[in-house]
This record gives sequence, structure tokens and C-alpha cells, in this order.
Amino acid sequence: MTNDDLFAKIQARWPAVLKASIPVKDYLTVRIASPDELVPLASFLRDEGFDMLDMLTATDHLGPVNMSGFIRQPNFNPFLPEGATPEIESAASAGYPYRPAMDLLWSFVSVANKNRVIVRLEIARQGVRVPSLTGLFKSADWQERENFDLLGIQYDGHPNLTKILTPDFLQGHPLRKDYVHIKDRFDE
Amino acid sequence: MSNQVTNAPSNSPVKTDQLFINLGPQHPSTHGVLRIGLTIEGEIIIKAVPDVGYLHRGTEKLAEVRGYHHCVVLSDRWDYVSAMPNNLVFCLAAEKLLGVKPPPRADALRVVMCETNRIASHLLFLGTYGIDLGAFTPFLYAFREREMILDLFEMLCGARLTYNYIRLGGVMVDVSPEWTARLKEFVEYFKPRLDEYDTLLTYNPIFMSRTKGVGLISAKEAVDWALSGPNLRGSGVNYDVRKHEPYCGYEQYDFDVPLGETGSCWDRYFCRAQEMRQSLRIIEQALAKLPEGPFMATGVAKIPKPAAGEAYAHVEASRGDLGIYLASDGGISPFRMHVRAPSFANLAILQEKLTGMKISDVIALLGSTDIVLGEVDR
Amino acid sequence: MGMVLEKLPGLTKGLPGGDLVLTSADYLIDLGRRQSLWPMTFGLACCAIEMMASYASRLDFDRFGVIPRASPRQADVMIVSGTVCKKMAEPILEIYHQMPEPRFVISMGSCANCGGPYYDSYSVVKGIDRIVPVDVYIAGCPPRPESLQYAVVKLQEKIAKMSLKKGLATPQQEKGSRDINV
Repeated sequence: MTNDDLFAKIQARWPAVLKASIPVKDYLTVRIASPDELVPLASFLRDEGFDMLDMLTATDHLGPVNMSGFIRQPNFNPFLPEGATPEIESAASAGYPYRPAMDLLWSFVSVANKNRVIVRLEIARQGVRVPSLTGLFKSADWQERENFDLLGIQYDGHPNLTKILTPDFLQGHPLRKDYVHIKDRFDE
Repeated sequence: MSNQVTNAPSNSPVKTDQLFINLGPQHPSTHGVLRIGLTIEGEIIIKAVPDVGYLHRGTEKLAEVRGYHHCVVLSDRWDYVSAMPNNLVFCLAAEKLLGVKPPPRADALRVVMCETNRIASHLLFLGTYGIDLGAFTPFLYAFREREMILDLFEMLCGARLTYNYIRLGGVMVDVSPEWTARLKEFVEYFKPRLDEYDTLLTYNPIFMSRTKGVGLISAKEAVDWALSGPNLRGSGVNYDVRKHEPYCGYEQYDFDVPLGETGSCWDRYFCRAQEMRQSLRIIEQALAKLPEGPFMATGVAKIPKPAAGEAYAHVEASRGDLGIYLASDGGISPFRMHVRAPSFANLAILQEKLTGMKISDVIALLGSTDIVLGEVDR
Repeated sequence: MGMVLEKLPGLTKGLPGGDLVLTSADYLIDLGRRQSLWPMTFGLACCAIEMMASYASRLDFDRFGVIPRASPRQADVMIVSGTVCKKMAEPILEIYHQMPEPRFVISMGSCANCGGPYYDSYSVVKGIDRIVPVDVYIAGCPPRPESLQYAVVKLQEKIAKMSLKKGLATPQQEKGSRDINV
């Protein structure tokens, strides 16, 4: 079944689901409007043959990353001679729609049909709880924990939503764009 | 078999207790810093909690402050045992964003490097899996061959482990005719060595009795837990990214994808051993068909600033399906880079599979999933 | 054995030629210590693969008397190879304290020396010498296995300078770990 047929089927059941305006290149990317549509759409996809939840991630669109604590040399271009004017202005790009939102991404793979569908959902950065897919796909377990640890997204119904990668004394969610590192006993 | 709790000690009249033991983070099986908290009763595991994060270096955050060429250096260190596919997957994703197409010679060279690195990585797996199970000799034999491959890479790009050879738009430097001659020599030298490993380890009765029937993973479970690579193919599921979504011209090469039958540790090991043979086939074909021409695309800026967009690329790394999700906002650094690491997903199944096994089978199962902690923790 | 060695300088002080006994004892003790250094298998990241390569067929470490021991209780030297993350720092300290004295530390690779390419990361300790005292630093990312073997040779030279008169302190215990003239 081609991507267009699949999209037509999805739209027939959920008219609110749209094709994403910025697709992930080469893949059918659909955008759902609210977290409630996620579990029905995921189980529909599973019945259609997309039985592997391959990847689950999120992007924080608040703004350019907070550079405090990170090193970026002033003369970024190593091919410029010393003392020449660096060409680099700020890293932020003009015209990019930074917004206080978190853009989630789920990637479903069909092993038999050699196909992949990507589902996007944009939520507010705080206060929204997203349903967990651990009931349908066991691979969501650790991926959701990682997202909670690094980005602070709360998943409803996850059996064990705790830190997995960062140390216990690290406060905050590092991959958020406004993360500022609080000095702990290993920094000086 | 070993998955069932047949003689549970709690049935006997003698009072027993459960013991909590830490497997790691420092332990002799050289897989890196992984900790598994085991609650055991006698020799049987009641509960297993894998604890990762002891090698979490924060590369996803660092990628947001480094430039695109610098991220290739960071990418080397995810799966440090086989670094070429890591470089390749990042370059594929960045090239999708930049709209750059590498020339055919670069594609062929990328295939040769990735397959040679796959052989080196599986040799290391073979050696360390043998050590885990108590066989010290195959380790020395496997490293003898691995050193030859590392010599080849050193001759080419100067590094033995973290190559930074595959760059945005192509490869770093062209191969000389002497190098291809030496690689062909190595391929011829290596073929009888694979038969040697078969006699040493694959059909060794002790090895077979320790790994056949241990850690059975059915095909449905494997897909549900999103396993990939030889772990998935050992359970009989035919999913190889090189055949599924070919990249870098893999569709021109003729090779088989070895599949296992029962999903036991031995099947996964056997898949890897057979993959080494298939890699040799691919290398021979790629070297025979190596096209002439430039090895790097023109038009890749020294400081790439791709237009705003998102891309996803994935390759069949030695450990499984390695994917990169890259988002750009038009600046000099990626806006978001997420690494879909195969070892991260392969490790998650342990929390369910280890219950009911004996401790010695834990080592066999852990070794057969072939994880590298650099990828798990990034 | 340790009690005898402690009392030896006092006993030989009054004797004519007492110093000669001490220097011979020094030589024998240091010879035994440096020619059979047993490191703990403590590979953290990429440098661990090069450490394994130095134990393997081509660059045999056994010819230096170096055999890897899995337990810290049976080890002399800890080769910290790989990035030291903050979550791992406490286990490293516990393991260091489990090693019996005299113990040495070799910091292998730029991540263990100073944080390496992950210097500005939020979860990386900027060098293992913030936690344990280090005897030999090896530069490289990853360093070649021959560098690791050269570092062991350098450590052997350092051990050769240990003496009973100074209480058999390791050179770094006596003078501090960052002193390069020891």
C-alpha cells in the first residue's frame, strides 16, 4: 500500500489528522491535533502492519540553545587566519518560528511491508500529559523514560517513569533549550 | 529449559532468602559500564533491573553547540567498536538536509569501509563472547585478525578506532591501489580463518550446550521490543536495512541475509558469524566495481548552514538499525539531534528475559545481545 | 611483612653499612612490585578497546608481567580508560579504595585526563584526577596500545624510585600527584 493510500485511510477515520507541513524527508509524516488521538491511531497502525515502534523523540522549539557553560570558539572557522574577523554571528536563524512548544515524534515501522510512518504531535512545554504506548508496544518503555529524563515530558500510564540516563543529583531536564547547569560537587 | 523455575528453592523445607547482587558497573565481561541489579534466590534470578547511564556523556546536547563537521567527530564515539557506520549515518542525515549528493566513488568506498568495519566488530564480539563463556583462545585469534583490519584503516586515515573518515559529501581521502591490493589480500587470507573459528567455537560442544536453548526470543517479542540487527534476525525476522531501504548503492551488490531459527543465543552468534562471510562477498564486489571519479562532492560549505527542515536516516550498523533524526533551524549547529541507538533497544528486553534464568545464562544472554555502552548511553 | 619493613630503617641506622642493606632491600622490593603489576580490568569507553588490544595477540602485555585481574582486591594498578561520567564517579572512588596499597592509577586517554571532547558536557567529570590521584597520564583519543605499554614502562621507572627510608610511600603520596619531577 502506498503512502497516499495509507494517508487516505487514516484521514477517513480521523479527519483532524493532517499531513505535516514540514515532513521528515522521504517519509509519510502525519500530525495529530491532541494527545487523545495517539493511542487509537497507534493501534490502528499496528493492525495495518506497522508492528514496530522504532523511535520516539521530541524537539524543544523554545529558542536557540542556551550557550552558558558550553564552549564554542570565537574563531569557529579553523581555515581563517588568526585575528581575521570571524564570519559567525549568532547561531539563531532569522525567520525560524521559535515557539514555546515541544514537538513529539513517533516512528512506526512495518517489517513485512518495508514501510515507515511518522506521527507528530505538538504540546505545551509544561503541564500536558501524553498517553504512554507501553500497553501496545513494549519498546516504548525505555524510550519514554529517556524522553522524560532529558526533556521532561510526562507519560500517562507508564509503569516506571524515572530517570534512566542522567545521574540522580542532576536537576532539570538537560535537553531543554533553557537548561542551565547547576554546579554539583564534580564541577569546580 | 533454563527459562523455567523448576526446582524453586522456596518449595523446600529449608528456609532460604533472596539476595540482591549488583552485576557491574565494573565487571570482567568487557561490555562497558552496565549495572544490572539482580535479586536472586539460589541461582535463579527473580528480578533484574538494568541500570544504564554510567557513560552518559550528553552528545545530543553537545551536538546542539557544535558545528556539523564537528558532530561527525562526536558520532565516532557512539558505537566505538565499529565507528564507520556511525559517521555514515550522520553524514547521510546531514546530506539529506543540505541537499548534497555524494559521488558514486564515495558511495562505493563508504560501503567497503562499513563492511570491513562490520567484520572487525563481529570479530571483537566473537572474542569477547568466548571470554564471557570461559574460552580464552578465540579472543587471541580474533584479535590477530582484527589488528590486520585496524592496520588497513590506519594506513588509510591514520586512526585505529575512531576514524572520522566518512565526511559530509563524501569521504576524507581517496584509497590508493596499494590499499585495495592489501584489502584483497586480507579477504583471501580471512576466508579460511572463518572455518577455523567454526571449529574453535561455533560447533564446540561446550559452547553449544551453553548457548543453544538459552535466551529464546520469539519473533513476535523481538519485533515488539524493537530489536534490530542480528538479535532480530536470530529470531527469524527478515529485516535488514541494507535490503529494506538501501543506501549508498547497496542494491547493486548481491548478498544474503542470514537468519536464525529459534532465537537462542547460538542463533544470534551464528547470524553474526555468517554475516562476516556475506561482508566478504560485498567487499569483493564493491572493490571490483569501484567507479572512478571524485571522492567528495563539491559545494559542501566549510561551515554548513542547511535550511530549516528535518531529516531521518538509518543504516544497518554492526549492532542493528542505527538511526539519526536531525532537525535544523538554519543555524550552524543542528537544532536537535536524536540518535536511535540499536543497543538501547536491544538492552531493554533484558528486564523481562532475565527472570527465571540462572546466573551463568545471564552472561550468555547479555553477551549475545552484543551491546556497546557508548551507544546505549550516548 | 609490612611491620618488618617498617622497623628496618630504624634497626639499620646504627649499624655500619646499614644503608647498603636498605638500598638492597629497596631494590628487591621495587623489582618485585614493578615487574608484576596487575591491573584491574576497568574499561569504561573507547579506550578500553585499545586496552583490550594491548592485552591481545599482537601487543602482548604479559611480557611485562601484566595480567588483568578482575577484582580490585587483587590488583595493583587501575587503568582508567574512557570517559568518567558523574554517575560513575562514586563507583570509581569505591573501587579505588578497595584496592590494597601500594596502588597506582594510570589515566588513559583524553577523557580521563581532562574531560576530552566532552569537556563542556553537563554529565562528564573533567578528568579523573579530580577524584583519585594519578601517576601516569596518557594522551590520545584513543591512545595507541603501544602508548599504554610505554606508560606502564614509565610507571615501572617511577616505582623503581620508591624507597624504605621514605616509608615506602608511593612517589605521589610523598610529593603530590601533579608533581612532574618525581
